[in-house]
Amino acid sequence: MEKGLKLTKKDLRELKEEKKRNRQQRMEFVNMYADWLKKTPNKVWSKQQAKYLK
Amino acid sequence: MDFEFNGNKIVFEKELSNLDKLVLRFVKILDTLKVDYVIISGYIAILFGRSRNTEDVDLFIEEMAFEKFLRFWNELEKQGFECLNTSNAKEAFEDYLKEKLAVRFAEKGMIQPNFELKFPKTRYNEYSLKNRVEVILNGEKLNTSEMELQIAFKLSLGSDKDFEDARHLYNIFKEHLDMNLLKRQISELKVEKQAERVLWKKA
Repeated sequence: MEKGLKLTKKDLRELKEEKKRNRQQRMEFVNMYADWLKKTPNKVWSKQQAKYLK
Repeated sequence: MDFEFNGNKIVFEKELSNLDKLVLRFVKILDTLKVDYVIISGYIAILFGRSRNTEDVDLFIEEMAFEKFLRFWNELEKQGFECLNTSNAKEAFEDYLKEKLAVRFAEKGMIQPNFELKFPKTRYNEYSLKNRVEVILNGEKLNTSEMELQIAFKLSLGSDKDFEDARHLYNIFKEHLDMNLLKRQISELKVEKQAERVLWKKA
């Protein structure tokens, strides 16, 4: 069987909608993260960041 | 970079980052509970050497009944993870996953990095999940989707970061890729111009 997907107009529309949803959710997360940062001591948030940033 | 690549399996060894270790810990829970998944997007570029960080690891997980999701939720809690969207499993299932939205899990008390989980909601998502590629990293397994699809999809996302990830994956795997498949997916997603600029052009 040939690999890959033949995409219809409906598929492309759904992918476009999915990207829009993802973008919106990511922006909401960015807001949530900033809210959390503002109320979290530097020592706490920077420790988390340092653990995963080398 | 040394690795073995044979169609649907990539075997390689490297020094694990804290992020790699966290990802392996998370996918072990999915494997234990027999939940099908694929990791896609940014982490895969990082896994294969891209020099950048990420706040989230994106996964598609199989669409499942609430009872199975609840077992997964409980196991995550037991293993020290918590959901960032809600503390209620039913709400995570009904208001997020079933509504085509992602739920995020992080280590308790942490915000990032987090695991962004979604049910497949398009044929493209379903194809990714069904046609997974096994990565054996230092003897441990994780699933991702076909590199050709990921590269084409990254081109369709369109940010500088996505273009760089696409180019990175292409550069790393080009000798092993199914070029017909890659070109077909590029054409299906109508991103030929982006491919010309990001992949085919030498500098």
